[in-house]
Amino acid sequence: MAFLEINDVSKIFGQAVAVNNFNLQVDKGELVSFLGPSGCGKTTTLRMVAGFEVPTTGRIVINGEDITYKPPNQRDVGMVFQAYALFPNMNVAGNIGFGLKIAKKPRKEIDQRVKELLTIIHMDEYGDRYPYQLSGGQQQRVALARALALSPQVLLLDEPLSALDAKIRVSLRAEIRSIQRQLGITAIYVTHDQEEALSLSDRVVVMNGGNMEQVGSPFEIYNFPKTEFVAQFVGLLNSTKAEVVDPASNRLKLDGQQVQTAESLGEYHAGDQVVVAIRPERLSFTTEGVKPNVLDCTIENITFLGAIVRITVKVGQYNLFMDTFNNPFLELPKIGDRAQITCSREAVLVVK
Amino acid sequence: MKGRGKIWAWFFIILGILYFFLPLIATFLFSLRAKLGVLSFQAYANVFNDPKFIRSFTASLLWATLTILVGIMLFVPTAYWVRLKVPKARTAVEFITLIPFVVPAIVYVFGLVRTYSQPPLLIVDSPVLLIAAYTILSMPYMYRAVDIGLRSIDVRTLTEAAQSLGAGWGTILFRVIIPNIRVSILNGAFLSFAIVMGEYILAQYLVKPAFAPYMAGLMQNKAYEPAALAVISFALTWACMGIIQVVGRGQQGQIAGGH
Repeated sequence: MAFLEINDVSKIFGQAVAVNNFNLQVDKGELVSFLGPSGCGKTTTLRMVAGFEVPTTGRIVINGEDITYKPPNQRDVGMVFQAYALFPNMNVAGNIGFGLKIAKKPRKEIDQRVKELLTIIHMDEYGDRYPYQLSGGQQQRVALARALALSPQVLLLDEPLSALDAKIRVSLRAEIRSIQRQLGITAIYVTHDQEEALSLSDRVVVMNGGNMEQVGSPFEIYNFPKTEFVAQFVGLLNSTKAEVVDPASNRLKLDGQQVQTAESLGEYHAGDQVVVAIRPERLSFTTEGVKPNVLDCTIENITFLGAIVRITVKVGQYNLFMDTFNNPFLELPKIGDRAQITCSREAVLVVK
Repeated sequence: MKGRGKIWAWFFIILGILYFFLPLIATFLFSLRAKLGVLSFQAYANVFNDPKFIRSFTASLLWATLTILVGIMLFVPTAYWVRLKVPKARTAVEFITLIPFVVPAIVYVFGLVRTYSQPPLLIVDSPVLLIAAYTILSMPYMYRAVDIGLRSIDVRTLTEAAQSLGAGWGTILFRVIIPNIRVSILNGAFLSFAIVMGEYILAQYLVKPAFAPYMAGLMQNKAYEPAALAVISFALTWACMGIIQVVGRGQQGQIAGGH
């Protein structure tokens, strides 16, 4: 049995369905991210686990105990907020020890635990400081320590890094992951930043319009998106319409040119229109002549992105992106040149 | 053009200062002339030695303290709850809190006397009615001060953070919310204090000892003592404002970077 179970949970506000039939099983020590655009229901789902919202239907179980209707202060769930939410009237030690004081732990135990947590977040010397004396990153680390002080069963993080600048975001997310692993705590992490979700999580739940689009490891989500939304939302993607030519041999026609996929097209018929997705990094130049997955194109644009060079090519009526690693000795084509690009059959994904 | 504007600005500032301070200075100087031919604090000595002054002043102090306590107990949880749970009701609640500005005190007091001088609630003689009336009278100041304080903090997130750490409503209110709006509550308290200390109509018509009716009574048969009293009550109000400033300065920094 999973440690955290979210079973058939829905949330309806008036006429609007914020979360629709959400089902998820999270194992102990696992970090699962909810990824999606604003208004997709990820934060509402998290708030239902925290107890700040009551599900319209369904139930939430932690470690075998149904907590669906338990008040938030009795759930044994720690939460880190986007806005830090440190208590301005308390210093760092006071903030971290707040939950322990409420739990009426002995003074000595509180001091000991606060000290431990200050060490974990690398802020041993900051116990006496007030929130206004800390940077955003430091405040969020204190908020994390505060949420961990009571050793909660589940740690919830609601876009904890979105208020921070890019560099701190990267270092802090590594720190959060390291602390989570070190303590073996079960965690749910809400974010709209795909890079954050992919780099942090054991599994990612991609959400859209209150629905779960796909659940899988970051590798699966990125490489094998199940829906067009996931394919579009996670990473950069070339998405074009194609026509099924021969379902038996998995052949399609992309604006008149033959494309073959490794996926079975058994469920389609010849002439069906489908959406084909190809990641830019799976495309490369070739000189192999006429054969499936070799597409004639024209160079439309070349963009230098540092480690990567992004080339826009026109295949029939579609513009496709092609990413190639930067190399000082790379011979790049010129805009307007005719060229051929190719990709493996596995790189051609048919999405719903 | 710019220099000319500056001169006009200074002209109006000085005019304002003179308008405010001249009567005060004149009253103060007048209050020093109780003894013929010399400037003295005789009028002040007379006031402080009058047992009626002590009685009315301490009574008003008691009314003010009780009004502040009732006001805090009533308006802090209300403003907090409205902001947290029913933010849509804020406009309606704000309108209600402004009613004491619209209803004249004399109308209000006649309404109170008429309603509470007959069964089932025969409390017109009880100080409870006076405190209740003062609480309503000071409501616009206390409620709005508290509401402004709540606006300066992220009430919802702080509440949720405390809840997730195991805190109940009482703990949240007393250990998280109130300490962070302490200055606003003090502002409301001192404004209420000033209102109650200077209030005449309610105390007069509900026949309770208070500072303002004593002052009014004194004016009918004395000359210098009422002037001394006016200066004393000004000093009292200014002391309240000074305390608000001093206390307020301490907490500003703490809230500034709080979130």
